[in-house]
Amino acid sequence: MQSKMKESGPILEVENLSASTENLPILKGVSLTVYPGEIHAIMGRNGCGKSTLSKIIAGHPSYNITNGDIKFLGENINSLEPEERAQSGIFLGFQYPIEIPGVSNLEFLRVSTNARRKFLNKEELDTFDFEELVKEKLEIVKMDHAFLSRSVNQGFSGGEKKRNEILQMALLEPKIAILDETDSGLDIDALRIVASGIKKISNAQTGIILITHYQRLLDEIKPNYVHVMSDGQIIKTGESDLALELEKKGYEWTDNFIKET
Amino acid sequence: MEIIEKIKTNQSLDNLTEIQKICLDKLQSSPLPNPKSEQWRLSNKSKFSNFLNYSFNEKDPKFNTPFPNTSQNTIRLVIGDDCQINLIEKNYSIKQLSEDKLVKYLKEQISCFDQNENWSDLLNLSLNRKKNTLGLKINGSEIPPIEIFSHASSNSLNTKTLVIFLEKNCDIDLLQVNLGKYNSSLSQSTFICLEENSSLNHGVVSYGESKSNLLNSLNVIQQNNSEYNLGSLHFKFNFARFEIRIKQSEGNAKTNIKGMQITKKDEQISTYTKIDFHGPNGFLDQINKSLADDKSHAIFEGSIIVPKIAQKTDASQLSRNLLLSNLAQIDTKPQLEIIADDVKCKHGATISQLNEEELFYMRTRGITLREASKLQLSSYFQEIISFIPVSKDRWDLLDKLLNEN
Repeated sequence: MQSKMKESGPILEVENLSASTENLPILKGVSLTVYPGEIHAIMGRNGCGKSTLSKIIAGHPSYNITNGDIKFLGENINSLEPEERAQSGIFLGFQYPIEIPGVSNLEFLRVSTNARRKFLNKEELDTFDFEELVKEKLEIVKMDHAFLSRSVNQGFSGGEKKRNEILQMALLEPKIAILDETDSGLDIDALRIVASGIKKISNAQTGIILITHYQRLLDEIKPNYVHVMSDGQIIKTGESDLALELEKKGYEWTDNFIKET
Repeated sequence: MEIIEKIKTNQSLDNLTEIQKICLDKLQSSPLPNPKSEQWRLSNKSKFSNFLNYSFNEKDPKFNTPFPNTSQNTIRLVIGDDCQINLIEKNYSIKQLSEDKLVKYLKEQISCFDQNENWSDLLNLSLNRKKNTLGLKINGSEIPPIEIFSHASSNSLNTKTLVIFLEKNCDIDLLQVNLGKYNSSLSQSTFICLEENSSLNHGVVSYGESKSNLLNSLNVIQQNNSEYNLGSLHFKFNFARFEIRIKQSEGNAKTNIKGMQITKKDEQISTYTKIDFHGPNGFLDQINKSLADDKSHAIFEGSIIVPKIAQKTDASQLSRNLLLSNLAQIDTKPQLEIIADDVKCKHGATISQLNEEELFYMRTRGITLREASKLQLSSYFQEIISFIPVSKDRWDLLDKLLNEN
């Protein structure tokens, strides 16, 4: 299976990446390669740099890359703007999706989808055609049509916000999706809906990076690789049983790896 | 005294109206506003001088409206354009105020003027001739929306005065549009009296061209059980002041205000509001927004006066401001003066920039920084624009703000 995945080139290559914000180093040499069809999980204590890694890949302007490269489909994207990265197929699912009062969810989704479609040389959708498309995608995350007429994420519950993220992922059809703690704040039913949505959207041509603290998401979506991060570095990489071991032994167990490295 | 001389030399003293004479007389003692007073201390002195610099002669009294053609369902009036109206329909009437009533009402108003606070009105009334004054008496129901235009012409200082009596149980939508021209000054004074149980949805939209100036003064008296809703928007003026004075004369009245001013380049636009509660059970909900970009300066000063007689007043005043450039300046000062002891009053002010995290979120969805900023601004504007009556269907103000301004 894995050799078949690697027949084509990697979607994402993070090479020895170091980054800082306000002169404070956050990432200290992270390397990670994702091939089509692969699911990677990144785990680690709070503050170890998981979310920062996801934001830097998405192009957050508050972080400076001090060393290393990020390559997407073989091209260096270090200097691309966040919107250019998104249009070319990088999706970041937020841990805390942002509320945007006064901006209708439907219009926001339509503008986003058309930005991606324009990049893919697909015809942009008018409101009528977009409604048809979004209706179909709403099914994936079992969301009510009424959510579309509200402001982006405003007044949504934690679970509704996360489902809205997956709806966006379904509409944007990214090449790689980085989902930052998509499972946090979800009850068991919502977790299953979100996990099933992710599975439906992903395919042999796409890559997924799941950032999580818990095994329960990985019970629903089995990763090919599990990486453990600590203090801005990936300190151990293994297969899915590494997550189970972490669940059993806790992060204290990983402190030994830090001593070893 | 320069201004007085200018007025006198511009018009023969014999031709002055009674109102003009009274106001000129008042101006003699303070020909210019006190630059150290609270109402004027932040006004840019050279811009204000520029406002007064233009000739008082109207150069181009004709006015070609750049706005949508009048709709069949809307009554449109242009002050100074041989404006006459005498509509008597089955359910309502809109009549011209008689000269006597107009003079009587203005004299009453002037007698209550504070020399400094009402300086803009004193200037307006001392300069204004009859043809640039429109007085209306409105009563009845199912009245069509009314649009009233005031405009300045280039290279001159124009004055327009509007007086409206809304009689008992009357309910109307009124949009007032003040237009500045290149190199012009417009002095607009408006006096509105809402009688018992009447209701006015009032929109004030003022916008200019390069180097236009505006002194816009609005005086509203609300009687028992009246409701006054004001949605206002001021933009594209080199120098503009919007002065709002509302008096709930007997209490038991409701006032809602949603106003916004947008400044760019080196413009200065300010809003001064004074809401006076003169009886119990008054209500006020006010929000004022400023957006300042480039090297511009936006000012808001609001005061709410709640004397002992105004028990059970419920008033809220919020100033929300967006600073879009490091060189722009925003001054805001919401104030409460409360003597009554059984009231619910609150005020607050915020100054912020475009929300970086919201922008990043939108950008991670492929929306460009420019588009994301526009979406944020449109949501910021929408709250105010949706409150301006008459404009919703035919006046695309949001588009004007986002794409033309």
